[in-house]
Amino acid sequence: MFSNGDEIFKISRLTIVWLAGIFTIVWMVCWGLGIALPMLLTSQLGDKAALTNEILRAATPVIAILVFIPINAMFMVLIERRALALWTVRKGPNRVGPDGNFQTAADAVKLLLKEDITPTGADAVMHTFAPILFFAPSVFGAVPLLAAVTNNHPLFHVLNLPTGIFFVLAAGALPVVALVMAGWASNNKYSLVGGLRSAAQAISYEIPLVLSLITVCLMAGTLDLVKITEQQAGGILNWNLLGGGALTGLNNALAGGGAKALATSYFMGPISYVCAGLLVISLIISFWLYLTGACAEINRIPFDLPEAESELVSGYNTEYSGMKFAIFFLAEFTNLFVVSSITTVMFLGGGDNPIPPYILNNIPGIPQMVAAIRDSYFCSTLHIINPETFFATLWVIAKVYGLVIFAVLIRGTLPRFRIDQLMAFGWKRLIPLSLIVFIIVVFAREFVICHG
Amino acid sequence: MGQDMLSTLLSAPNVETWAFYLLTTLSICLAIGVLVDRVVIRSGFILIGVFGTISGIFLLLSAQFLALAQIMIYAVGITLMVVIALMLTNPRLEREQLIVYNDDSLPPLAKLFASCKRNLNLWVAVLSFVTLYAALIGENHWPLSDQAVSQDAVQTLGEALVTNYSIPFEFASVLLLAALMGAIMLAKGEPKHKVEDGDLTIVDETKKQENNLALQR
Amino acid sequence: MENVVGTVKAPQSSITLAIAYSVIAAAVVGIYAGILFTPPGIEKIVTHHLDFWFCVGLALAGWVLRSVGGHKGVIVTMTVLASFVILTLNQPMLLRYLTFAALLFSMGLYGMVQSRNAVRVLLSIELMLNAVNINLIAFSRYVDPISLKGQLFVIFVLTVAAAEAAVGLAVVLAIYRSTQSVDMDKFTLLKH
Repeated sequence: MFSNGDEIFKISRLTIVWLAGIFTIVWMVCWGLGIALPMLLTSQLGDKAALTNEILRAATPVIAILVFIPINAMFMVLIERRALALWTVRKGPNRVGPDGNFQTAADAVKLLLKEDITPTGADAVMHTFAPILFFAPSVFGAVPLLAAVTNNHPLFHVLNLPTGIFFVLAAGALPVVALVMAGWASNNKYSLVGGLRSAAQAISYEIPLVLSLITVCLMAGTLDLVKITEQQAGGILNWNLLGGGALTGLNNALAGGGAKALATSYFMGPISYVCAGLLVISLIISFWLYLTGACAEINRIPFDLPEAESELVSGYNTEYSGMKFAIFFLAEFTNLFVVSSITTVMFLGGGDNPIPPYILNNIPGIPQMVAAIRDSYFCSTLHIINPETFFATLWVIAKVYGLVIFAVLIRGTLPRFRIDQLMAFGWKRLIPLSLIVFIIVVFAREFVICHG
Repeated sequence: MGQDMLSTLLSAPNVETWAFYLLTTLSICLAIGVLVDRVVIRSGFILIGVFGTISGIFLLLSAQFLALAQIMIYAVGITLMVVIALMLTNPRLEREQLIVYNDDSLPPLAKLFASCKRNLNLWVAVLSFVTLYAALIGENHWPLSDQAVSQDAVQTLGEALVTNYSIPFEFASVLLLAALMGAIMLAKGEPKHKVEDGDLTIVDETKKQENNLALQR
Repeated sequence: MENVVGTVKAPQSSITLAIAYSVIAAAVVGIYAGILFTPPGIEKIVTHHLDFWFCVGLALAGWVLRSVGGHKGVIVTMTVLASFVILTLNQPMLLRYLTFAALLFSMGLYGMVQSRNAVRVLLSIELMLNAVNINLIAFSRYVDPISLKGQLFVIFVLTVAAAEAAVGLAVVLAIYRSTQSVDMDKFTLLKH
């Protein structure tokens, strides 16, 4: 059964090494710029350092994102190739460095050294501007997510917006422009068809995507990402994935509230129980709708028609090479990461532990371990580890990269759609389904006390 | 002295002024680009830039929700227009023809008159601006309020939409629905019987369209 | 008068003259701002009626340089920008936004009546609608910041703009089917 157990071991080792490397670097950047340097400056200069410290703290999230994106994309390309190889029983990249660990670094160097070509008759300005417009929204769109995934850490608190999820969606609408621009400016018919396809596809699939997120916002009663995350705290039964708070009453009853908690939340008796069940089913469908729509938005298989290699010779980026192609490539993987983060925050409880506290605290050893970490030298004196953020970030990393691996699994499993199938599936199946789910949620939430 | 000037320059109203002039300069330049660029598709992309700067101005006016809605709606909407323009225009003829006027032989005054007559559209636009500006200057006594826009503007808007303004809201959605259905009916194409009575013309037309596609560069 | 229609190259235009004009325009704006913000104590020589004549003078200078052979695009852009700054510098914040909206509206109007491509006409109409939106939001910010009625009306304007764009594009598509063109001058179906 585990004939490729060796490969599984190698891929796990690779993942752990890379993730530890990436997040140690990002952590050190954040800690150094946002906490250690201001502490040092304050101890040396006193009050004079206040302005400098403010600037340092404000710059920290931006620099952290800019450091994170390239190394993260390198890791994601590597893990995608290794995981695909695992699922198709091949060997992935295994020559450059131990276990092929440096393969993508070598690829990046190759891409950056390639000649940068603008095709004859192409619109040079637009041709250059398209990759930038494709890349920029995936960076800025990720900004309001930072506070939500780090459990509202003070360093990232400023980035939280009252209309957070709307900002993310607005940033997600911009790459379409870039793809049409790239397709048109390349002076190539394959690119043009790729650009047109991506416009049609993105517009069709944006509707179910936004409707599924609106369903979640309706249950939460807010657009604020941090508030949405905080509502879901306290175990898997509170997550938006399972009814968006419809099971909170059950959770409270299990936590020790008993029948009284059940009666408070499900105040209409049997009708409430039915509605809670409906909510759970609706939100699970919403989750699936979001994953499907997001897959289409970021042009992943099975929706990668704009860049289908076999029919369009990789579509809108046919004419791109060198640095510009590298930016396209980087942005695609960053988009995958951002979409996984949005899913984590909106549906999977952000940095919340799936095991509820009333079970966790009864397992012998866990509370002692948490207390030991909290009182350790690193936490209390050096502020290297912030206990609240530490565990939350671990869970976020696990969930986000789990979703990334899931996307790779889908890529290795499903064949590509045909364009008419794609449009029919979007307009005749997904949009009606998302509207039905939305209406069910509007009515069902009146009969259950949710966390919204 | 220098510190004083710096602090006056960086005070809140002055920062708003600087941001205003920066955004409007960018916006006006891009809007002129939209009007004068000979390639329609490029001017469509530039228009997205104009709307980006306008949403920056909305942010200055503390209307965050509408700024984001502006980006979300117009980025996709204008892209669609660009796509339609791509499908409908023939790139060889797409560069709008440049008209060169040959009036060197005229006397200077007649030359001036001719150029005024030719630029009648420009005069209409200038006149409309002067009229609007004069009206603004004349009406400049609005009851200004000192209060800032509240932080939960989204909540205010949402509540107003489902209470005081629910009927206009419903009418707007009905209008949108009707317009979309009408647009689909208009764009859907000719009824079927035409295909029967004139196979040749249809073939001709599809050929023309194919030629158009082939001509796209 | 003989007009030659065709894709003939535009007559040679001088960038040097255009740059000279830009410098003049910037200097005029600087002089105006200097006079406007004279320190207290020195008597002001400019009332707000003079700004109009500054703009007219700039436009005349631009026209002269243009007829000598300056680059048209740069001269027009600089004239518009400098006039805009001169007209708004002495105004309260609300009036600046309104003037900007009026300018955008007029530019949209010009594009609408000038361009021959139907798609560009639609783009210009979008520009005009956005100018109206700026007006509404400026009023809701400075006159009515609590109930935000202006912002509400912007939502309705956005809806109507979407409907207008959809129907407009469909009409253009339908006409394209019969005339194989999106040239506004060829849309003469009712004439014959």
